[in-house]
Parts: sequence; C-alpha cells; structure tokens
Amino acid sequence: MTETTFQHSTASPPRQAAPSGALSNLVATYGLLFVFALVMLVFGVLRPSSFFSAININTILVSQSVTAMLALAEMVPLATKQFDLSIGYHLGMAQVLAVGLQVNQGLGWPEAAALILLLSVIVGLSNGLLVSVFRIDSFIATMGTGTLLFGVTNFYSNGEQISGLNLSVSFTNLTQIVHGIPLPAVYVAIISLVLWIVTEYLPIGRNLYVIGANVRAAELTGINVRRHIIGAFIVSGLLSGFAGIVLGSILQTGTPSVGPEYLLPAFAATLLGATSIKLGRVNVIGTLLSVLLLAFSFSGVQQLGAPFYIQYFFNGGILIVAVGLSVYATRRRQRAATTTRSQKT
Amino acid sequence: MATDAQPAIAIRGVTKRFLSTLALDSVDLTIGRGEIHALVGENGAGKSTLIKILAGIYPPDAGEIVLDGRSLNPHLEPVPIAFVHQDLGLVDELSIGENVALVAGFPRRGGLISWKDVWEQTKRIYAGMAIDPPDPRAPVGSLSAAGKAILGVVRALSRDARIVVLDEPTASLPGPDALHLFEVLRRLRASGTSILYVSHRLNELFGLVDRVTVLRDGRNVSSGSIDGLTTETIVRDMLGRDLQVHHVTAATGREATPLLTVENLCAGNQGPLSFTVGKHEIVGLVGLRGAGHEIVGRAIFGANSHSAGTIRLAADVIPADLPISARIGKGIALLAGNRLVESTLGGMSVRENLFPNVHAVSGALLRPIDTGAELRAVRDELERFDVRPRSAAALIDWLSGGNQQKIFVGRWLATGAKLFIMEEPTAGVDIGAKGIIHRTLRKIADDGAAVLVISSDFEEVATLCDRALVMGRGKITSELTGSTLTLEGLLTRSSMAGGQSERVH
Ligand SMILES: Nc1ncnc2c1ncn2[C@@H]1O[C@H](COP(=O)(O)OP(=O)(O)OP(=O)(O)O)[C@@H](O)[C@H]1O
Ligand SMILES: [Mg+2]
Repeated sequence: MTETTFQHSTASPPRQAAPSGALSNLVATYGLLFVFALVMLVFGVLRPSSFFSAININTILVSQSVTAMLALAEMVPLATKQFDLSIGYHLGMAQVLAVGLQVNQGLGWPEAAALILLLSVIVGLSNGLLVSVFRIDSFIATMGTGTLLFGVTNFYSNGEQISGLNLSVSFTNLTQIVHGIPLPAVYVAIISLVLWIVTEYLPIGRNLYVIGANVRAAELTGINVRRHIIGAFIVSGLLSGFAGIVLGSILQTGTPSVGPEYLLPAFAATLLGATSIKLGRVNVIGTLLSVLLLAFSFSGVQQLGAPFYIQYFFNGGILIVAVGLSVYATRRRQRAATTTRSQKT
Repeated sequence: MATDAQPAIAIRGVTKRFLSTLALDSVDLTIGRGEIHALVGENGAGKSTLIKILAGIYPPDAGEIVLDGRSLNPHLEPVPIAFVHQDLGLVDELSIGENVALVAGFPRRGGLISWKDVWEQTKRIYAGMAIDPPDPRAPVGSLSAAGKAILGVVRALSRDARIVVLDEPTASLPGPDALHLFEVLRRLRASGTSILYVSHRLNELFGLVDRVTVLRDGRNVSSGSIDGLTTETIVRDMLGRDLQVHHVTAATGREATPLLTVENLCAGNQGPLSFTVGKHEIVGLVGLRGAGHEIVGRAIFGANSHSAGTIRLAADVIPADLPISARIGKGIALLAGNRLVESTLGGMSVRENLFPNVHAVSGALLRPIDTGAELRAVRDELERFDVRPRSAAALIDWLSGGNQQKIFVGRWLATGAKLFIMEEPTAGVDIGAKGIIHRTLRKIADDGAAVLVISSDFEEVATLCDRALVMGRGKITSELTGSTLTLEGLLTRSSMAGGQSERVH
C-alpha cells in the first residue's frame, strides 16, 4: 500500500453535505405534499362534483381550523419533547365556558373570552410548573390536569348541553365566512405565521428545539430550561383556550362531551408534520400540511359512503402510521440515507 | 511480533458511503494473533466508521470481513469481538453493575437475576485488572469522565473475547490510568488476544503497539510494523504532508492581574481551595482520577453547587446561587468534558450546535436571528478549526468525534467570554487540530482572557499552560511553573498527591 492520490484535498474541501442535506429535506417535504396531491387526485376523480365544491372545502377549513390550532398548541411543548395531553379537555372547557359565560352569567363575549384566556394561562402555567419544577413526567401531569379540566367542564355545565340560542351576533360572526374566506382559517393563518417566525427565526424558538434535543446541554449553554418549558405550556394552553372560543362560536352551543376527541387528530398531525419539512422535528408547515392531509382524506372517505365509526379507525391508524413514520425518518436521518445519493460522483 | 499464517481478522476492500461523503474507500486491514494494531488518521479519516462496520452498526457497501478464515457479515450475525466505542455506550441511568452485566451477562440463580452476584461480578472483573472497583450499585452518571472510560474498557474486556477493539480509550484518561490500561492490554496480547487500538495520542503507540495502519480520507495510506516509524513519519502519512509545528509559547514573566479569584472554595467533598487565574494566563488544573479537580471548574460555572468559599471575577463576587445563564452573562464559559451527554444536540445542524443559545450572546430572546451574519460566523469557525465537512447544514451526528469536538470548542469561543473553563479541550482531536486549538487558546489569553484548562492529558498541560495546579484528595497540593512544568513533573506530583477510588454516596 503506497501513497494514494489525495483527492479530497485539504486546501479546498469538497462542499458536499450542504446540498445533500438540502436534498434530503426537499425529498422529505415533497413526501407529504405528494401524498396530499395523491389524496386530492383520487377523491377528485372518484367524487368530482362534491369533493372540490366550495362548500366542502369551506366546511373542511372551518372544522379543521380548530384541529389545526390544537395541533399547533401541541407543537410548542413537543418542540421541547414534552407532551401536552390536556389540550383536548382544555378545548372542551373553553368551548363550554365561551357559551356558558354569555348565556348563564350574562357576560359580553369579550369579557367571556378574556376570562377564558386568563384561565388558559393558569392551566398552562400549572402544567409547566408540574413538569419543570415538580418534575412530574409530562405525560402523567397533563393527563392529570386534563382530567381535572374535564371535571370542571362537567361541574360548570352539570353535564348538560348549554343552548346558545340567545348568543349575540357579534360572537357568532367571529367564525363567519367573509369574502368567501372562513374567518377561522384566517386565525389559523395568523397564528401559524407568528409561530413560524418564532420557531424559525427567533432565539427563543431555537432554544425550544435545543431543549428538546438535549436538556443537559441546553442548561449548560445558559438556556433557562424551566422558564422555556413553562412558557411552552402557557402558549399551548392559550392556543387551546382560543380554539375553544372559536369552537363555541362555530357550534353555538356548549357541549360538555366535545373536546377530548380532538386530541388524537391534533397529536397525529403534529407528529406526522415532523416527518417532513424539517426531518424529525415538529414544525409549523409540516403540521398544517398534515392537518389538511388528514382532513381531506377523511372527508373523501366519508363521501365514498363510509360509516361514521370509520373515523376511529382513521384517527387511530393515522396516529400509529405517523409515529411509525417519524421513527423511520429519525432512523433514516441517522443512517444518513446511504442509498439516495449513490449516483453522484 | 510473530503472526501466524492466518490472521485473526482480515478486512478486505471495505467501502462505506454516507450521502456524498465516501467515509471508507476500499480499506484493507489485517490483524495477526496476539498483536496490538494501531489505527490512526486525521479526524474524519474513517476510523470509527470502520469499527462500527466491524460491530455491525452499519452494513458495508462493499468488501468483506474474514474472521479465522471465515467470511462473515457483522450486520447480520454476532461477532466474537469486544468493543469500546468512542462514546463508550454506557447507560447513565443504570448502575455500574448493571452496565457491566449488559456486556458480561446477568448472573442468575434459579432463572432469576441474582443481584448479589451482579454486584460481585463487577467487583471481580475490576479486581481482575487490578483496579479499585467503584460501588457497583451507584449510577454510572455519578462517575467522572475517567471513571466512565475505565468502566467502558473493563466491561468490554470482561467478555474474554479474542479480538478487542478500542476507539480512543485514552481520550480522557489521566496518564497513570492510561499506563494501567496499557499493562492490561499487554497482558491480553501475551495470552493471544488481538487488539485494534485507535488513538490520537501518537506518543503512546511506541512501546505498546506492534503494527500501525494509517487512513487518510477513507483510504489506506500505509500499514506495517511500528519499528522504524516515528511520530513524524506517522503524522506525514496521516496528513499527506509535514505538520507545521508552531510552538505555543507560554507568556513568561508577565505579571498577571487576577481575573478569577477563588478563596476557600468547598464543593462536593473537595476543598477548601484557593487559587487565582490571571488575565492573559492559561492555568492547568490536573489530578488523578478521583482527585476532584473536575468539580472545581463546575462550581465556578454553577453546574455544580458549592457549599462554602467565595468566587470572584475581577472585583465581582459571584454568589453561590447565581444561575448559569447569569454567569455566562458575566463572561464565564465552560466547555463540558462529556461530549455526548453535555454538548451534543443530536438531530440538529452544525450551525445550531455552534450557536445553540443566541440570546446568551445577543441578550435578546425576541430579536430575529441575523441569518446572514450567523452563516458567516459559522463559516469562519469551520474554517478556523478545519472542520470537515465545511457545511453549516450538516447534522452534528454526521461529523466524526474529533470534528464534533471542534464545534463545541468553537461554540464557547464565539461567546467572547472573559474566563474560559475548558475540560479536555482537545479530547479526540487530531494532532493538527490540537495545535490549532492550542494556538487559539493562547491567542484569546493574549487578548486578555483567563483560561482554566482541566485536562487529563498531562502533555497538553505541560506545553499549553503557563502554570499548573496539581490536586489530590480535594486539595491543591502543588503548583508548577516555568521549568518545573513538565510532563514528568506533573506525573510525579499528581501521583504523590494521589487520587481516590471513586465512591458515591
Ligand atoms: N452517520 C453519518 N452520516 C454521514 N456522514 C458520516 C456519518 N458518520 C461518519 N460520517 C462521515 O464519515 C467520515 C468518517 O468519519 P469517522 O467518524 O469514521 O471518522 P474518525 O476517523 O473516527 O474521526 P475522529 O478521529 O474524529 O473520531 C467523516 O467525514 C464523517 O463526517
Ligand atoms: Mg472516531
């Protein structure tokens, strides 16, 4: 073995991993987009008249805006690798209170909303304190607070539906369709934009991901882990509360049983979102894409005449697939996709 | 060394590609029976990749591995090889005894795990290598870096494998412990075991290994007996050129105004300690394993609490309960010694690993990160330390161990602190990059910073530092400067000071 030619010269190291890293990101991005396009195509062909109707699209946008807000709520603590399982119950409580405080207590909707958001901050704060100060596993802690919130909802409503017949128009108008665009979709867009800027361009967003990657390292770089985790849970709580107010305005009744069933789709969308755009990392765009993907697929399946209970199979199945995919994405990233680039050089 | 006609293990034409990086390009390596074989090369040359292929962690793209004349695929079948990987692969949450049992096996009685035997087994294995055993019931997380390195080696050797592979086992091992390890390795060789040994401390190869294989950019450069080789010839093979030796000259005779003043500090069961580190000064803090010197730096940074004494930065008293973030704000930096657990942000980019906490530097949590300026800063750091690949977007996980280390050194230098506490600043770094890091530390000292180096590499302390404090049994036992600050001086003084067997309460 004599001297071999020194191809990778030290003087000009090959600029290599940047384009390939970008490439694998592109592949991942297109993965979810591709599935989305496929779903649209299949159902568009099978049910051309109804699937693409403005009514169907708007119905989906309105109903899914609540799921989207909840998915974004889940995303924030999940960036630090903390679960928030209370968001579904939180949504339910906010929705019942949004209607109830107006109907029963005679508050105007702005006062009711302010009160609910204040409560949301308190709930988020307690979740954050339980997890970061008392060091209770987030899974357990938030399941606990969630169940407590469900208790509060039922205590307040006595387990009965609150009719919103006399709700003010200004409240129900919060979720109307303006110039063909449903307002809830606008709220989602605004929230997403803010969160996108925070997670991608602000130090605080990077800190959240750093905590998620390695808590000890985060502490040693001077990140106040406790404060960030508490903050993440407060944001999660605020978004859940806001989603509840929106849901109250959409449904125009306060139904104590509504809420918990939103957790699973929101959770699935967030995890599915982590398999694209930013491989292995929860992110805003991936989350939104996943919510839409799940919603349109579900709507398509329904239009094909699937029975109501199909949604449980759908949500459960998607959750497992989403987690499976994100595990796969992580492993693929660690193995650094040895096969995708064998054609180069 | 007499090698049988049939080698213990032969690696032929092994190739491995990651994305666009060709990590191994048709590499050959043959190890005879009863041979210690050194594998050396620059950071990123492909050493760990080759070892991971042997361990079956990655499948090779091409090539074969022949053991005792039989071709086998480690990715699919178990191989009779014991491994000490670069990151040791210990489970911090489990006890020392359980970590040993993960490799040596859990002793059972009547089908159930016998915990008494698990603890006994650990003590027996340590004793078999003439090393004081730690409490087997203590969690691994409570061991010092050196203690973990020893554990990693001890448990791998417990398997009685006929081939042993060690990836930089001495990277954070104090001199005397390293010498001890070499004794164990020589004994294994005498009993016919074959050993593959990776290290960046080239000096330790002489008198230990029989043959040396050099890799460069994933290719074989040379392979042969160590007789007739010198550090210079090995380095030339590694780099493909001669290494420019810049001597880092200690600033002599400069009256240093103290920047860090420590008075009667007690932390853990160490102390009381008093010392100063001046502006423009690089001070080494050394000791044997268990001497307690790591805790001192951590107490100053606030990563460990201290129970008594005062710490001052210039005239500023640092209160005991001041959080880490505030200390960083005051200009204190700590490069932590345990790379994987304390520094690596797995799954995040090189850029994010260099600048994990932008706000600590800019002071603003909500001011957008200046992407352009940040990317320029990343490029400068990659350039300065010759990190490969030169990519801000590459994930940290894709970098070799030494290249990761360069990133973490850069992470702290970029904070522009006044006091740098550097634990093992050059652990796992190749000889060229080591020089760059040393020169950089000298430069920041010249520019007015104070540097406290906590290193198990006594040679590094002897060449880099202006002054060295030797610790033993929780006290500073001697101070070496000028002509007394030599490798030998450090070795004798620290042995006299003594360590203590690691125990945990
Ligand atoms: N999982 C991975 N994905 C992508 N590239 C990788 C991966 N692992 C290693 N590499 C690349 O392969 C090359 C060889 O890395 P390796 O870890 O084998 O180096 P090494 O010789 O052990 O270096 P060091 O002395 O720094 O430990 C490097 O260029 C590294 O960036
Ligand atoms: Mg390596």
